[in-house]
Amino acid sequence: MIEDWDGDDESEAGRFLPLYILVNGRTTPRNSSLDLATQVIALAADATRLEPEYLQILNRCGNWISIAEIGAYLHIPLTIVKVMVDVLLEQGYLDSGSPAQQRVVDPALLGAVLAGLERL
Amino acid sequence: MKRTSVKIVVAGGFGTGKTTLVGSVSEIAPLTTEELLTEAGVGVDDVTGVESKTTTTVALDFGRITISPDVVLYLFGTPGQDRFWFMWDELAQGAIGAIVLVDTRRLDSSFPAVDYFERRGIPFVAAVNRFFGECPYTEEEIRGALELGADVPLVWLDARDRASSKLALVSLVRHAMARLPVARAH
Repeated sequence: MIEDWDGDDESEAGRFLPLYILVNGRTTPRNSSLDLATQVIALAADATRLEPEYLQILNRCGNWISIAEIGAYLHIPLTIVKVMVDVLLEQGYLDSGSPAQQRVVDPALLGAVLAGLERL
Repeated sequence: MKRTSVKIVVAGGFGTGKTTLVGSVSEIAPLTTEELLTEAGVGVDDVTGVESKTTTTVALDFGRITISPDVVLYLFGTPGQDRFWFMWDELAQGAIGAIVLVDTRRLDSSFPAVDYFERRGIPFVAAVNRFFGECPYTEEEIRGALELGADVPLVWLDARDRASSKLALVSLVRHAMARLPVARAH
């Protein structure tokens, strides 16, 4: 009987929504600088209203982690991780580091990478 | 300094040892992430003649090296199949450069990778993987077969060996630094 429905079966049953519905049909991130090597970290925010799939990503972001790593650990295709991370960035759940997007022309950064590799 | 990611691409033909190289220097066991792509194809048994689409999964293996508290280097192996060029574009964008692994049993299998980075002006080094035993070619013969420019470093390595893989990475970063435009004082 419909009167008995408490409106809360979603959270109990879990979700089996196609991912394209979760991302509202968005196919590319609005923040086009997002790269598969871009690292993100969770910000202090109330996440109780997040869909479980988003919460799953957020829970992986206690420390800096790249989009590629999130995809690998959660078995989510890269394109979808990117869009979902973009949504979380936009809503203030995540912060992002500098993307590896521009051609690296910073001698100081290359010097740091060289020194780091030589220490290996 | 802001948290920063840098990338190096590990390329080469199928079975040249890309994931082995990534695994020998990475601080984590190589991870695999997947990208979906939709390919348009014509269904042969589709009586309506309407184009059908199939979804293909492209797997990417990668590893990580923490350079400093703020800088993390990601090493991405290119997909084994040469036809997924769109993935190469994503991997190469913003990369320091590439290591092109060369299999001496099949020199030509690394030519598409050499050609790709050469055309885009992306710094790369050719790394001959000694894993496959005695190399029957001289450096000149390999350079000739791959049409390597005179300025492209060629290194010999064993992709299973951490120190050897590290030297190839160092060689690439030095090469990328040497190619930086010289800052002009005005």
